[in-house]
Amino acid sequence: MTGQATEDPRVAERAIEYVYRQGWTDGLPTVPATRERTDEFLATTSRPADEVIGRLDHLKREVTVELAAINSVMAGCLPEYFPVVLAAWDALMLERSTMGGGWQSTSGPAPLLVVNGPVRRRLGFNSTGGVFGPGFRANATVARAIGLIVRNGLGVVPHVFEQATQGVPGRWAMCIAENEEESPWEPLSVDGGVTAGVDAVSTTLLRTSEYVDNRHTGDPEKLLADFADTLSRSGSLIFRNAGAGVVFCPEHAQMLANAGMSKDDVRTWLVERCGRTKADLARVGKNGITENGVRYERGDGDAEGFDPMFAADSPQNLPIVVAGARNAGMSMVVRLFSNWSGVSARVEP
Amino acid sequence: MFDRILDPTGLSVRPAGVASGARRLPSLAGARVGLLDNTKQNAALLLAEIGELMTSRYGAVVTIRRTKEMFALPVDEPLLSEMKTACDVVVVGVGDCGSCSASAVADGITFEREGVPAAVICSDAFAVTARAMAEVHGDADFDFLMTPHPVAVLNPEQVAVRAGELLDVVVARVSEEGR
Repeated sequence: MTGQATEDPRVAERAIEYVYRQGWTDGLPTVPATRERTDEFLATTSRPADEVIGRLDHLKREVTVELAAINSVMAGCLPEYFPVVLAAWDALMLERSTMGGGWQSTSGPAPLLVVNGPVRRRLGFNSTGGVFGPGFRANATVARAIGLIVRNGLGVVPHVFEQATQGVPGRWAMCIAENEEESPWEPLSVDGGVTAGVDAVSTTLLRTSEYVDNRHTGDPEKLLADFADTLSRSGSLIFRNAGAGVVFCPEHAQMLANAGMSKDDVRTWLVERCGRTKADLARVGKNGITENGVRYERGDGDAEGFDPMFAADSPQNLPIVVAGARNAGMSMVVRLFSNWSGVSARVEP
Repeated sequence: MFDRILDPTGLSVRPAGVASGARRLPSLAGARVGLLDNTKQNAALLLAEIGELMTSRYGAVVTIRRTKEMFALPVDEPLLSEMKTACDVVVVGVGDCGSCSASAVADGITFEREGVPAAVICSDAFAVTARAMAEVHGDADFDFLMTPHPVAVLNPEQVAVRAGELLDVVVARVSEEGR
């Protein structure tokens, strides 16, 4: 240590505690944002610091590039992650629910961020084992930055304007990179209108995620039937239709592709079969549908019939991603809060 | 010591609002009542029941009933204009979710600023978020009305009972009667 100044690490403790006292954290320690560090983040983008990139007029709040940078510093991002944060935020602002009351919802929805393109490797985004985290700085801190921007920039603070009844496990922690190397299909960003090989982020709000573990069959139709059962769960049906996605593990995706199925084929197969019978829905008090498309308990409802789950056969209603390790047949159904915008945002080079 | 740590909220540049309440009506006799429901389960029914009681017991007349297209967001200008032309007092509800409770309070403040006394009904589970919205809209003491949670699962008979329980506070909120 000869020749170096001795720094007192307790200064860092006090700075971290100061940020807690201001009410600016999500419960975990943050990196205190200095002017110098924030300027390093701003230097990674051509966008002006005062550009407004998000707003909630009813809460009289707006988010600028500068505020996004400050919150990204706090989340523990490296400066070079900032263009990914901005792309994630841009994609999020294309979602119907994020400009309305979605962040305030009792369902406590959580964004799933999906990163595509060479930026995954350049910045160290995990796309393979344990893709839903934790353990990887890029994945963890980009997701967290979005959460801090919502909390601090939009002012949606738990128990005040954030009214989640229970919330969603993994909120502000779900940033996955697609495993493009082991996927048999085009990346999600192509469904979102971005050329393959170009860095992009896609996102939508989730209500939860739940696994499908099937290491039991080599029959692609039986495998998909297992997904259809999980997808069609009645607890998630509150409106006429519901949206859901699948994050396939490489093993499941490759089995389906080897049987000759494209991503569109898989989606069509599921869209045609997912849903519940009127009798099932009557048993749980959700057999009626109002003019506004909200389900309700209808005493004189039809006992016959079948309500399809998906409104349409499209990536907006049923996005499909491939991520995770090629070491077991377990995939994730992700439950959409609304529908995906269907538009991916490019990461500024 | 930590004044070099940057504020991540942007709140230092936020403008302040001004509280402004409408004048209460001396009496509800002949008063035109507007009902603004927000699509939440039982909201329209509860407001309709309250409207009937205001008519039968106080001589008011329900002249306009409208449903918000976006329950999460405050009332838009065309609907605001239409309602303030068509009624002397307005009943808004039911704030029974994370965003609609807050927006119902924002609606009430807006109607009051436009000179229309407003009774805003929220489920008591959302008191904190409703109060926070009142502060954001510059009327921290705005007086919204609460009914016990939950509202959505009540049957029609139970909704009618709720309406009866709320009637006096609604009337006192928008007029000098019953105060």
